[in-house]
Amino acid sequence: MEEVDKILIHSLRQAGTPVPPEVQSVRDLTPELVVEAAVRCLRAVRPALGAPLSPLLPPGISARFRLASDLAAACQELGFGGDVGYQTFLYSSEHDTRRLLLFLVEKLPRDESERGAEPPGKSGALLRAIGARIQEQLGTPWVPPACRTARLQRLQGTGQLRPFVTCPLVLPQSGGPPELQEYFGGAAPPVPAQPPLSVGTPPSLLEAHATQLSARHDWEAEWGGPGLASRLPPQEYVGRKRLRARLRALEPLRQACPPRPQGPPPGPLDPAWLQEAFGAGGVGGFGGALPKGSRFTRTQHLTHEQDPQILLQQIQAAAETLHPSKSPEEDAGARRAGEEAALEETLARLEAEIEGCRGEVRDAQLSLTQAEAEVRQGRLVLGGREDALRLKARAVELLPDAESNMAKLQLVVEASSRRIVSLAGQWERHRGPLLAEYRHLRALRDSAQLESSRRLSEIRSLHERSRSAAAEARRKEELYKQLVAELEALPRDVSRAVYTQRILEIVGNIRKQKEEIGKILVDTRALQKEINSLVGKLERTFSVTDELLFKDAKRDEVVRKAYKYLAALHENCAQLIQTIEDTGTIQREIRDLEEQIEGETSAKPPASLDRILSDCRELREENALLAARARHA
Amino acid sequence: MLRLLEKLPPGRALEFLHKIVDGICGRAYPRYQDYGSIWSLSEWMEILEETMTHFKTVVGKNTSDEEAAQQISELNANYQEAITKCLKGRKEEIRNALVERVNAISSAQLQDFDWQLKLALSSDKLSMLQMPLVNLDLDVRENGEMKPISIEMNKEELQNLINALEAANKVVLQLK
Repeated sequence: MEEVDKILIHSLRQAGTPVPPEVQSVRDLTPELVVEAAVRCLRAVRPALGAPLSPLLPPGISARFRLASDLAAACQELGFGGDVGYQTFLYSSEHDTRRLLLFLVEKLPRDESERGAEPPGKSGALLRAIGARIQEQLGTPWVPPACRTARLQRLQGTGQLRPFVTCPLVLPQSGGPPELQEYFGGAAPPVPAQPPLSVGTPPSLLEAHATQLSARHDWEAEWGGPGLASRLPPQEYVGRKRLRARLRALEPLRQACPPRPQGPPPGPLDPAWLQEAFGAGGVGGFGGALPKGSRFTRTQHLTHEQDPQILLQQIQAAAETLHPSKSPEEDAGARRAGEEAALEETLARLEAEIEGCRGEVRDAQLSLTQAEAEVRQGRLVLGGREDALRLKARAVELLPDAESNMAKLQLVVEASSRRIVSLAGQWERHRGPLLAEYRHLRALRDSAQLESSRRLSEIRSLHERSRSAAAEARRKEELYKQLVAELEALPRDVSRAVYTQRILEIVGNIRKQKEEIGKILVDTRALQKEINSLVGKLERTFSVTDELLFKDAKRDEVVRKAYKYLAALHENCAQLIQTIEDTGTIQREIRDLEEQIEGETSAKPPASLDRILSDCRELREENALLAARARHA
Repeated sequence: MLRLLEKLPPGRALEFLHKIVDGICGRAYPRYQDYGSIWSLSEWMEILEETMTHFKTVVGKNTSDEEAAQQISELNANYQEAITKCLKGRKEEIRNALVERVNAISSAQLQDFDWQLKLALSSDKLSMLQMPLVNLDLDVRENGEMKPISIEMNKEELQNLINALEAANKVVLQLK
């Protein structure tokens, strides 16, 4: 019973009843605790039933009775088979209470933590902690600023809020010059000391971490996809990509700017060329503008819009606006204005002249290039004519001795055709092996390419596998952590193994007792058999003796006497046996009665009676009070 | 120039120089209260300015080690060594900071951002709204001054913004 009580009380504690530690068995439970335990179990089993009941026993006697009756009704509705009423809670016997509580505990939902468990995933413990914290904060009501206590001010005030201000952090890293390593080893300040304000430390750390993480992610995605397909080592791949991006950025600039006269630029970013490109773009602000929307165009427009001509116009306009405002009494001003006008005129004239000169220069350059082109063309024509002339001169030289010259020419032609044939033979001789080698090399290249693509796919699958393995490992680690946390959180005193052991021990004990009972039964049966056989023997002996004595009794007086004694003896003995049997029955009855007495004593009738009597008295008093109040009212 | 540096005890020179570099890179500058016993306030401003200028010009113009040493040849050998050491170690960092600064001159640049999630319980028309709103604060640096920008968005607007930013990130990745 002790073990059962321990388990029962532990279950009640889990259901939320604050059972004090000194309570070790159901006998020690007070009515208040019994009521509270029952209500809490009811609430856990079926909230609709338990919710309207209060777990606290009210002080008024009538209210107590009502609560206890409601509880009893609820228990019966739940399916409790035994006898239950208000007395079960208020004047409880140990036996009834235990039965009721066992019933309720069995009805408790199994393993509440399993029901409410969140999916085993990312940082379940952290999420749970955050949830608990938010729950707590939501539970506290909002209080106007003036009425807040210090704690509430911390929670609801805005004083704790800080702007998210970050600053770049310097974190030790391997590589770099030895001076840098020395710096990291000695003079580098720790991270909390790096931001200008100490509140900037957490944001800066968060920022640094997020930057590193996203950079790593991006690189992994990049390297897993197009990077691996390019079949280049990482550094080379990055270098190539950078070059490509640079060229692409330069493309619009190059389109917008006049091409350099001496071929393509030596490097992708030649500063001199860039400068020139920007300068050209600026001057050509209204001519060959850069593609619209580019940042450069805007800045260029802003900075270089004020062309000389526009400036001149502005100056003239300003001068004109100045003229009408000239007042007659300001001679000096007028003179100055006149001078200014004259100067501006000169300036304008000079500008116009410069412009004219520029135009002339441009014209001259144009005509120069034209003339140069003509000269070049003329030279080409001349070269062609000179060739024709040379050919004809040779023909004329050969004309006088035509026959022999023809024969010579024939010879020359034949010799050259022979030479062509021999050269063709030589060419074939060379070409054959070269062609074979070429084919061989091509086959080699093909096979190498095949091999490399096979390797590539292998590497890719390896990558995939390593990534999935890493993810798996991470997941398992998290699961492990969560399980460890759950294990930590589990109450220590519930050890299943101990209970199982106890149960097994009890079962063993019961088996032993059963064997003993069997032995005793066998003994009893043997005894019974012996008794039966003895009784039979006695019967037989008696009937034989009786017959013998009865035969002789007719003749002999002594024998008749003996026969009488025998009959009396037999009768007395039978009576004796009967008495003994009666005694056994009575003893058994006595034992039954004793057991009943014990049972009644265990139900604490005197104490319960006293309590019932006192409660009855109180109830009467309350009734009288109520009646008096009703009368007064 | 930089003669004032010799007032500093040689042991502290390297630390001071590293702090200056920290300041150039956007972290805390050295504080006057730590060096008030060595320089007067005007000297302090001068030494700060000159040291920074030296570092910036040497790194920005990418001068060779010999030329850089030439510029500080009038100093005591101890200080020369300290400056060279500091410069050698943190050249890359200073260069990155300067590139970052040059990159920022042409237009507005996002410096920091912060967000708050709010739940609007009701509005002037509806008594029961329950709409989540996000309040995004952007600290934008434009022409050298910070300009706070605050935007309130509902769920769809936020999603639009995130999509746009992701598309932009994809383009940036191609140029990285």
